[in-house]
This record gives sequence, C-alpha cells and structure tokens, in this order.
Amino acid sequence: MLKMFIESFKNLCSSPETIKYPFAESPEPKGYRGVIEYNEDLCIFCDKCENICPPGAIKFVVSDFETGKKEYNYNPYLCIYCGACVTECPKADEGCLVQAQTRTPPLGRVVPKGEKLGYFINRIDNPKEVESKWREIEKLNIKTKEEYKEYKKQQRLAKKKAATS
Amino acid sequence: MGKIIVPFGSQHIALPEPVSFLFETENEIITNVEAHVGYVHRGIEKAAITKFEFNQLPYLTARVCGLCSITHAGAVVHGLEKLLNIEVNKRIDYLRMFVVELDRIHSHLLANGHVAEVVGYENLFMQTFKIREDVMDVLERITGNRVQYDYQVIGGVARDIDSEIVEFSKKKLKTLKDNVLKIMDFNDSDYTFGLKTKGVGVISKEMATKFNTAGPIARASGFATDARAEYDYLPFEEVGYKMQLRTSGDVWARNMVRFDEVLNSIEMCENILDNLPAGESKVKVKGRPEGEVVVRVEAPRGECFYYLKGSKQKVLDRVRIRVPTYANIPILKELFVGAKYSDAQAIVLSFDPCMSCTAK
Repeated sequence: MLKMFIESFKNLCSSPETIKYPFAESPEPKGYRGVIEYNEDLCIFCDKCENICPPGAIKFVVSDFETGKKEYNYNPYLCIYCGACVTECPKADEGCLVQAQTRTPPLGRVVPKGEKLGYFINRIDNPKEVESKWREIEKLNIKTKEEYKEYKKQQRLAKKKAATS
Repeated sequence: MGKIIVPFGSQHIALPEPVSFLFETENEIITNVEAHVGYVHRGIEKAAITKFEFNQLPYLTARVCGLCSITHAGAVVHGLEKLLNIEVNKRIDYLRMFVVELDRIHSHLLANGHVAEVVGYENLFMQTFKIREDVMDVLERITGNRVQYDYQVIGGVARDIDSEIVEFSKKKLKTLKDNVLKIMDFNDSDYTFGLKTKGVGVISKEMATKFNTAGPIARASGFATDARAEYDYLPFEEVGYKMQLRTSGDVWARNMVRFDEVLNSIEMCENILDNLPAGESKVKVKGRPEGEVVVRVEAPRGECFYYLKGSKQKVLDRVRIRVPTYANIPILKELFVGAKYSDAQAIVLSFDPCMSCTAK
C-alpha cells in the first residue's frame, strides 16, 4: 500500500500520460492503415479488389459496354481498412490501388472529396444520402454486370455467325 | 429470511461486455445462479458459410472478438492452410508468433486491470492500463491499426517488419517489462488487494480437471493445460515458451498467473526479435479448400477450437467456433454457489469473460 502511495505522489508531479484529444492533435502512427486511393489510368478492371473486399465497399458499375470501362465506386464508411484489395491488386506496385495513411473523418456535415476516392463519394453532397445512394450502387453493380455479360454473349454469337457465313 | 433474486447484468458497471446472471441469494450468500450469455449474437458462423468466401474468412473471424482478433484470424488461417496444403516458411511462423504473444500481453493486462477495478482499487487499474499502451503501440506500428489487426492472411502475413520496427519494439518491450514487474509487485504485496482477492473463488485442481477448465483459470489451479504445448501449430518451444502454473486457484492466483504469462510472452517476443529468420513474408496460394480440419490454438483466455469443412467450393460447408469462455461458464456457475454476493464481481472478472466470443 505504501509503495502505491509513493507511486501516486510521483504521478502527481509528472506530466500527464493522456492528451486532450479533440483540442490536441493525435497524429496517425507510421504505417497506419487508412483510406484506399485509386488511380483509374492504371486499372485493368479485373474486379479482383471487388471480389476480395470483405464488407463489399468496392463496387464497379459498367459504364461503357463497348470498351468494357467500369466506374470504380468506393464507400469509405463501409470500408474496414483491412488492405485486402491492395494485396490482391495486380497493379498495386505501380500505384493503381494504394492504402494511404490518412483517416476518414467521421460522417458529419460534409462528405470527404478527392479525385482518388472514386466516383461514388464525389457525386454526393449530403452526408445523409450516403447509405441510400450506396444501396442504389449495389443494385446497379449487379444489374450492369448481368447486362454486360449478356452483351458479350450476343457479340460472341454474332461473331460466330459472321465466321460461319 | 426469504430468498431474493438479484440481477447482475446484462448492463452492469463491472462488466465490459453484456452477460446476465440471476443470483438467488439468502442474506449475503448466493444459493443459486442462472446465466444468460447470448446478448451479442451476430450469426458469424452462419455468415461464414453463406455470405463470405474462404479467402475473406480471416477478416470475418477477426471480428468475432476485439481482444483476441489475432487468435481467431490465426486459427482460421491455420485451418485453411492445412486444407489448401500450403507450407509456410519460418519467418512467417515467427512473425505470427510475435503478434500472437503481443496480443496475449495486452489481453492479460486488460483482464488484470479490470480485476483491480472491480475490487475497488481504481489506482491500480489506471496504472495497469497506462503500461498497456506500450504494447498497443507496438501492435499498431506492426499491423497498422490499434484494434482490428488483420495481420494473418492465408499464406503469410499482411506486411513484413523492418529493422526500424524491430528497434522500436525492443525499446517498448524493455520499458514494458520494467513496468510489468512493478505492477506485479503491487498485485503481489498489496495488503488491501490481497484482502479482496486471496481465498476468494477458489478452484481446486480436482474441480478444474472435473469441469475441464481452459487457459489461465486452469493453470492458476495447477492444472497443466496449454494448447501451445499440446499442439504444434507454431514453434513456441523454440523461442522459450514455459508453462506457468500457480496452485492456490483463487482470484489472486489467476491474476498472478496472467502476469507470469505476460513476462514469459515478453521474453518470447524478445527472443523472436533477436532470432528473426530471413525469408519471404508471403507464399503463393492456389486452389480451393477440400476436406475437413480441426484447429486448436491457445487464445489469451484458453484453448480456442475451430472446425472447418470445405468441398472445393469458394464458400465453406461448415465453420464451427468454440471459444475458451464458453468452456469456463460451468465452473463459474459452480463457484458462485456459496460465495458472497459482494465477491461475485471479482469472480466474474477474474475469469476474463469474453462475451462477444461466446455469443459470436
């Protein structure tokens, strides 16, 4: 008991261990797993990141059937920041998908914007819409993929027809 | 004097997680107890066989529990690697062992802090949590996150460590060791702490064997059981693992056995950092899981059991999880009968119950 008294008095004189968080800064540690950044120019649309993502926070929507171009939609509020997409990405070394060391601000009055965050979050202005719009994206993801599959099938059939005739 | 039923939980000031006990008391003495454990059921076993593919499972099972997320992810990774016939190199084994032991350190320190808090020793609780920050910093630096580590993946670890992290960890572990010895001394020699913990909730070795207890609770009663020694999923013996045993079996012994294990784990971590083998931190993964496998790993709270079954599909057929707290509930009920109601909090917390694991 006496030892603890001495320890407590020592602590009275020493500087505090805690920080006053909202007023003092709490920087991210080195190597922090933060937000996922995407570079569309390097992407080959292999869908590997979409397939591995455990919470389903990455969804591609096919925008152009002829070139096979897809729109990358990323929901930072659904993301669990595990980094599985980055390890799976074949072009990660070149910087197609990178895990940055910045954290996403809590969902308050504004939505974070950025060129590298994909199409979804940049098209939303009202934070209350994030959830409902993401459901639409999920539906679009399934719908456009099926349509794209059908389109490709038709094209293959047409090609076959042209080759036989 | 009639019997009075006193509810303890599901929301209680002493409990970090929801569990409910209904104590039937006569005066101060508990005569009967009823336990309800399923307050945080999330259906993870079902989700693992319907919604998630096998390569997403480590990320899912890591969310079973916040404290032993490394153990759960590790268990499922060991099982899947057996099903996929993947051999990992020594460096991966050592890195995995390193995070597993760090996980054990911070979990044990949290448990001991909580015991100190519920017996009314708030000061010791704060001291324990203060020193726990060091190991949290090391884990955060290695894995990139403070709570959800996602470090063990199929075929290796998510990221390698460099010499800078090794130096950082060594420095932190050294201060941690000094601090743990100091806190251990407070636990050991403090008179008031002893009054509330010594001779409270005693489990004899016969009881521990009969009720098949797991983890530090069994080892505090002198029942030598440890999955690290019994199953060779990781080479713990190589880095200086020693089984820690105490014999008195009360709340105090359970605290002290956890401190012994913390010191042993720190020693193991230092050995790992000194003898880290060279090699890749990841091996190639191919194929789909086929067959069935049983995995037993030592979680901070005891033996954690996983059963996995796959049939060359992306989604597994069956995932079964049995966690150590579930194995310890029967003896917990037995201990309450005849104990004083005022000791109930200390007994519950000395078991270090993890309800989110149990209900999953």
